[in-house]
Amino acid sequence: MTSVWASWITLLSPLAAALAITLAGTSLSRRVAGIVATTGTSVAFVAAVVAFVDLLGEDGEQRSHLDTAWTWLAAGNFRIGVEILVDPLSVFMMLVVSGVGSLIVAYSLGYMDGDDEERRFFAYMALFVFSMLLLVQGGNLLMMLLGWGLVGLSSYLLIGFHHERPSAIAAAKKAFIMNAFGDATFALALFLLIAHNRSLSFDALGEIDGASSTVRNLVALGLLGGAVAKSAQLPLHTWLPDAMEGPTPVSALIHAATMVTAGVYLIVRAHEVFEAAWVVQNLAAIIGAVTLLVAGLIALVQTDIKRVIAYSTMSQIGYMFLGAGLGAYANAMFHLMTHAFFKALLFLAAGVVIHALAGEQDMRRMGGLKRLMPFTYWCFLIGALALVGIPPLAGFFSKDSILAAALDRGALGAILFSIGIVGTFLTGLYTFRMLYLVFHGPRSVFVSEHHHRYHGREGPATMLVPVAVLAALSVVGGWLQFAGVWTPVTDFLDPVAEQIAEANTWKEILASVLAVALGICGMLVAWAMYSARSWRVPSWRPVRRVLEEKLYWDRLYDWIFYIPASWSGRAIMRWFERPVIAGSAIGIGVGARESGELASEVQTGYLRAYALAIAAGLAVLVLVFISVK
Amino acid sequence: MLGPDVTWYLVISGILFSVGALGVLLRRSPLIVLLSVEIMLNGANLALIAFSRLHGESDGQVFAIAVMAVAASEVVVGLGLIVAMSRRNLALDVDRLTSLRG
Repeated sequence: MTSVWASWITLLSPLAAALAITLAGTSLSRRVAGIVATTGTSVAFVAAVVAFVDLLGEDGEQRSHLDTAWTWLAAGNFRIGVEILVDPLSVFMMLVVSGVGSLIVAYSLGYMDGDDEERRFFAYMALFVFSMLLLVQGGNLLMMLLGWGLVGLSSYLLIGFHHERPSAIAAAKKAFIMNAFGDATFALALFLLIAHNRSLSFDALGEIDGASSTVRNLVALGLLGGAVAKSAQLPLHTWLPDAMEGPTPVSALIHAATMVTAGVYLIVRAHEVFEAAWVVQNLAAIIGAVTLLVAGLIALVQTDIKRVIAYSTMSQIGYMFLGAGLGAYANAMFHLMTHAFFKALLFLAAGVVIHALAGEQDMRRMGGLKRLMPFTYWCFLIGALALVGIPPLAGFFSKDSILAAALDRGALGAILFSIGIVGTFLTGLYTFRMLYLVFHGPRSVFVSEHHHRYHGREGPATMLVPVAVLAALSVVGGWLQFAGVWTPVTDFLDPVAEQIAEANTWKEILASVLAVALGICGMLVAWAMYSARSWRVPSWRPVRRVLEEKLYWDRLYDWIFYIPASWSGRAIMRWFERPVIAGSAIGIGVGARESGELASEVQTGYLRAYALAIAAGLAVLVLVFISVK
Repeated sequence: MLGPDVTWYLVISGILFSVGALGVLLRRSPLIVLLSVEIMLNGANLALIAFSRLHGESDGQVFAIAVMAVAASEVVVGLGLIVAMSRRNLALDVDRLTSLRG
């Protein structure tokens, strides 16, 4: 079984790289640590390609291999093995994760060059790639939960990589806590599954049909909770923009291309559960639609280049949730892949800009970079066009097919379709606002003062090559599938997750025309406002303020959780901790000291007094013994 | 059984012990206190040997020898302390040596 052992190599080589860097410590130079991590992830990618090719050689229905390394835990007839599943869906994800992952780790060689703690960075990166591969390759839900938790951990470690910055630490904690909430609901869903299915294997997921509707809905809701937290969808989304405190390659790898799409993978992988609970499945689609709209609106007023891309990520994952929730699984996975390409491209190109501007991320201080960094500009433009979905770039094929599939699902589908269409307008607007602010217009004072070239180029080759590769993938990645005519992705994934929503030709045409038209409208508005400056940027103060406050989500959570918690903490401190706990502890100490001082009065230092006391005591004892006798 | 009755030995032993105890309690010179302790030990030794004779067993004599060994070591330590004190010109008066009070 070539595909199985190749998959084990894919899984274990990033882990080996992480362990090697950790154990070798300072005996490895920083650069070698980076090369080890790059090698580990590249080997993983090559092995994933081998597994993919081997899988293609088999018949469609037989492309599913479950390989158990050993039994992890056994309780009665309930058994969980350390096992990996090799099927079209997991191989698809392996290719995306290890492919984009190795490009981004290679990019980090240039980006992190000279950082004090490069080794730690690369060990974390390799650990993350391993965790993500474990998540997508895990052969049962428990292995998946293991990967699920590990990606949360490595995300926490990498967001807080600059541990000398308090804001980075706060962002890391925020991400970890919100993800832990999702992990908890995920785990609760697994408990219910164990109770009803007596198994956590993916094959047995269909048996949930036999359970009561409450159980079905609860299980689906628990899984959805995990997916929503990991994928930064409403209402558990507030951690993702803050996570931009991490180094840019981390944002590209974890918070754009791979980890945040895990929720989509979960929905597709556990689609039988969601199909058995249609209310929750529709809820997933609605959450996706609302998120894509809200994130698109907030992105309009952000000033930090990475935060704009972060909100755009939330918005695009909203499209994937919309697709997965409406049963267009292959379309969602296809968009996941193209999104990984162009979003990683945008992040890495933004990273080149940030690198050249000595770490500045505020778009208001940028401008006119087109002349200084033509290569980065063109790559960024490709990524932006792909994001907006302009043909023939990647986003056009994948996003529009999701929207077209939505039209197949009745009234709800039609409503969500129109939200998605509005979303494309917003995408065009915020993406090109960013592009114009950063690259067009007159060169800003800050840029003229701070821009520096790297040995006469825009950046080190290790950074520019991955950007170029991703730009190429953002162009050609969409050609893998052209709805209605050429559908290899759908055909490949169909044995794992059969599509519910299938669009016909006129729906495809309608969705594409509308989406492209509105995307171009958005771009034109952005051009008029931010480049030609023929329209003034509207300054509706209340609206702007609400958007700048990110629709008050953070405030809301402060009010619901933080303020009551800190208030009750202070109250307990004041009324219980200080008087009762601390009071009794101090009281015991004071009492012991005072009684000791009292007793020490007896020690007069007079030898004869001691002797008299002994003699008197002896006499009393003698008298007692005699009288008792 | 030859010799006086065991009662007489015990009376003398009690007198010796009491004399020693009074010496410890009443005298202030450490040297005399040490001597008094030795007298108390010898009172106890006398009682041990008297009972040994009475019962015709040697256990008491063995104990008496052990007590003598203890007494000898005690004298060594005690006299050493007293010599050290007098070398430092400390007052040889137990009522004035009270620095170990609480």
